[in-house]
Amino acid sequence: MRISFNNRFFSRETWTAVGFLLPLVGFVVIFILLPVLGTLTDSFFLDVTYRPKRFLGADNFIWLFNDPGFGRALRFTALFVLVSVPLEVILGLIMALVLNERLPLRGLMRAAVLVPWAIPAVVSGRIFELIYNYSYGAANYVLRTLHLTQGPVNWLGSEIGAFLALVAADSWKTTPFAAIILLAGLSAIPADLYRQAQVDRATFIQRFFKITLPLLKAVLIVVLLFRTIEALRVFDLIFVLTGGGPGGATTSVSLFGYNYFSAGDFGYGSTASVILFIMAFGLSLGLVKLGRVEQGVMP
Amino acid sequence: MPAVIWLVCACGQANDESVVFAVGGAPSEVAFWEELLVDFKRQSGIRVDLLRQPADTDQRRQGLVIALNARQSDPDVFLMDVAWLGLFVASDWLAPLEDDVEAAPFFQRVIKLVDRRQEHLMALPVYLDAGILYYRRDLLERFQLPGPPGTWPELLSQALTVQRAMRKTNPRFYGFVWQGAQYEGLVCNFMEFSGSRGGFLQQGGELRLDVAANRTALTFMRDLIRQYRISPPNTYTEMKEEQVRLYFQAGNALFERNWPYAWALHQSPASKIKNKIGMAPLPAPPDGERVATLGGWHIGLSRFSDRRHQALKLIRFITSYDTQKKIMSRMGWNPGREDLYDDPDVLRRAPQYRELKDVFQYAQPRPLLPYYTQISAIAQRHINSVLADRKSAEQALSEAQGEIDALQQRYDVE
Repeated sequence: MRISFNNRFFSRETWTAVGFLLPLVGFVVIFILLPVLGTLTDSFFLDVTYRPKRFLGADNFIWLFNDPGFGRALRFTALFVLVSVPLEVILGLIMALVLNERLPLRGLMRAAVLVPWAIPAVVSGRIFELIYNYSYGAANYVLRTLHLTQGPVNWLGSEIGAFLALVAADSWKTTPFAAIILLAGLSAIPADLYRQAQVDRATFIQRFFKITLPLLKAVLIVVLLFRTIEALRVFDLIFVLTGGGPGGATTSVSLFGYNYFSAGDFGYGSTASVILFIMAFGLSLGLVKLGRVEQGVMP
Repeated sequence: MPAVIWLVCACGQANDESVVFAVGGAPSEVAFWEELLVDFKRQSGIRVDLLRQPADTDQRRQGLVIALNARQSDPDVFLMDVAWLGLFVASDWLAPLEDDVEAAPFFQRVIKLVDRRQEHLMALPVYLDAGILYYRRDLLERFQLPGPPGTWPELLSQALTVQRAMRKTNPRFYGFVWQGAQYEGLVCNFMEFSGSRGGFLQQGGELRLDVAANRTALTFMRDLIRQYRISPPNTYTEMKEEQVRLYFQAGNALFERNWPYAWALHQSPASKIKNKIGMAPLPAPPDGERVATLGGWHIGLSRFSDRRHQALKLIRFITSYDTQKKIMSRMGWNPGREDLYDDPDVLRRAPQYRELKDVFQYAQPRPLLPYYTQISAIAQRHINSVLADRKSAEQALSEAQGEIDALQQRYDVE
C-alpha cells in the first residue's frame, strides 16, 4: 500500500524535488507569508504600546475610511500612479526603440541608461533635493543665469509643484527599468517580420503599430505590472524629498502607514498596509488577466 | 532554519558584566559618550556597552519602542526626547528612580512638568533645550533700535526696518528665520508664536487647538512669509534647525529662532557673525505670556533591565555635578542641573548661561500624551498647509481639531 502510494504520487524524483523546494518554501513562509498574515491580524486590533491589545472587529477600517488624512493619501497615491506609470512606460518605450537601432556606441549607451536605475531611491532623492533646493538648487541656478524669472522659484512649495517634482524624480529613476525590459522584448521580435514588411513597403508607423506593438504587448504588461505595484507603494523618494509636505499634500499610503507604525500604533498602520496590499493585489490580478487575454489574441 | 534563528538570538545577548546604554546623535556626540563611559568604568569597574543609535530623533524612538515593546532586557538605560515621555510612561516601560537618585539640584519646573508622573520620579533631564531668539546686535545698534523685541509685533516692525535697508546691498537678506518645514520643529515654533493662551490647551483630558490665540498666531506666521515677506519663501518647505542656523550664520538675517546649540556654532572662529550677536527670550504675543518650547533629553531606566543596580550607578554618574559640567563645557549642552548655572567657573567661560537659566523657568513642554506623535503629525500637516497658503488658519485649525477629536476618541475608549 505504502509502496504503491509512493509510486503513484510521490516518486523518488518528486521527493528530491520537494527536498530542494523546501528551504525556499520555508523562506517564503517565514519571511513573507507570516508577516503578511501578522499584518492582516493586527489590522483588526487596537495595538498600541500603552494599552492591552484589544480586538476591534472592522473598526480600524471604518476609522481609516473616515480619516481625511488617509483619503488624501489615497488620492495622492492614485494620482501618482496614473501620471507617473504611463509617463515612464512611454518614455521607456521611446528609449528602448532608440537603443534597439544600430547606432554607434550602442553598448555604452545601453549601460549609461541604466545608471539612474542602479542608484538607490534615497540617494536619487537627495540628488533631486539639490536640484529643487530654493537657495542653492541647480534648477534655480539655471533660471537665474538665463534671467528667466524674477526671483528663485520654491519648487516644492505648492501642491502641484511638489507633485510634479516627485513625478519627475521618479521617472528619471525608473524609466531605464522600463526601457531595459522593453528592449529585451524588442530584441525577441524576429527580424524576418520587419524584412517582410519592408518588402511590402510598410511605413515606419505601420511597422510600429502592426508588428512592434502587438508583439510587445506581453512585455508591456509585465512592465506595467511591475511599475504599478512599485508606484503604489512609493515611499523612499517622498520620505527624502518632501517628507509628505507641503501640508501633507504628498503623503502616500505607504508613508501614512509608516507614520503610524513609527509612532507605535501598529494596528492602524497595519490597516493602511492591508488596504495597500488589497489594491496592489487586485490591480496585479487585473493586469495578469489582461496579459492572458492578449496572449490568446497574439499570432 | 532553527540554527539560523539561534545564531541571531545569540548575537543579541548581552555580556554578563555589562550595562547596555542606548544613545544616538552626531558622530562627535557618540564619541563623547564613549569617552564618558571609559571614565565611568575606571571609577566603578562596571562596563557599559554603548548601543549606538542614529542621529535622527524619530529613528531613535523607533529603535527603543521596538526593544521595549518586546520586553527586551537591553538596553538597560537610554536617553529619551522629552516629547516621548508620555508614551514611555503610559506604556509602563520605565522603572521609577525615586530614592536612588537626587532630584533636588535639577530644574524643579522641568521635574514637576515632565519627569514626575503620578507621584513617581520616572526620569531625569540630562540636558535641556528651549526655543530662544538670536539677534544681530551690530545691526540693531546701526539702525538705532532699542534692543531685542519684547513682543511679536515689535519683532515685525524692527525686521521690516532693517530688511528694507539691508536689501540695498544684500538681496538675500531676511528679517527673521525660523523652522517652518513640516516636522516636529514646526509645532515647537507654533507654540511659541501662540504664547501661553494658545498651543495645545488641555481641558480635562481634551486637547483644544482651535482657539483664538492659535488662529492669530497662525495667521501671523503665514503673513511673515506671504504678506510682510520678512521670512524667506522656503520657510515652510526647507527650514529646519540647521538650514535656519546656516542662513543666520551666513549673515543673511536679523533674527533667528533656534535652540541653544546654535550659540557655540555662531561664535565659532569661521562664523561670519562671530561677536555680532545676542541671545534673548522669544517675544511674547500681544495677548498672553511668552512661551519657550521645552526640548531636551531625559535619562530613564528600563523596567525590563536585568542590571538594575549597575544601571542606577550609571544614571547617578551621568547626572552628577562633574559629568554635567563636562557635558556643558565639552558639548555646549545645557545641563538639567540648575546648580551649574551659578558655577562661577562656567559663567566666566560662558556668560550666556546666565540668560539661559531664566529661559528654562518658563519653558513649556508639549502635551505628555502617549499618542502625542500622532497629535503632532496632524498639527504639523495643518499648520504647514496654512503656511503653504492652501487654506486659512480658521479652516486649518478647525479641521485639525476634528482630526484630533477623532484620534482621542479612538485611543481613549476603554
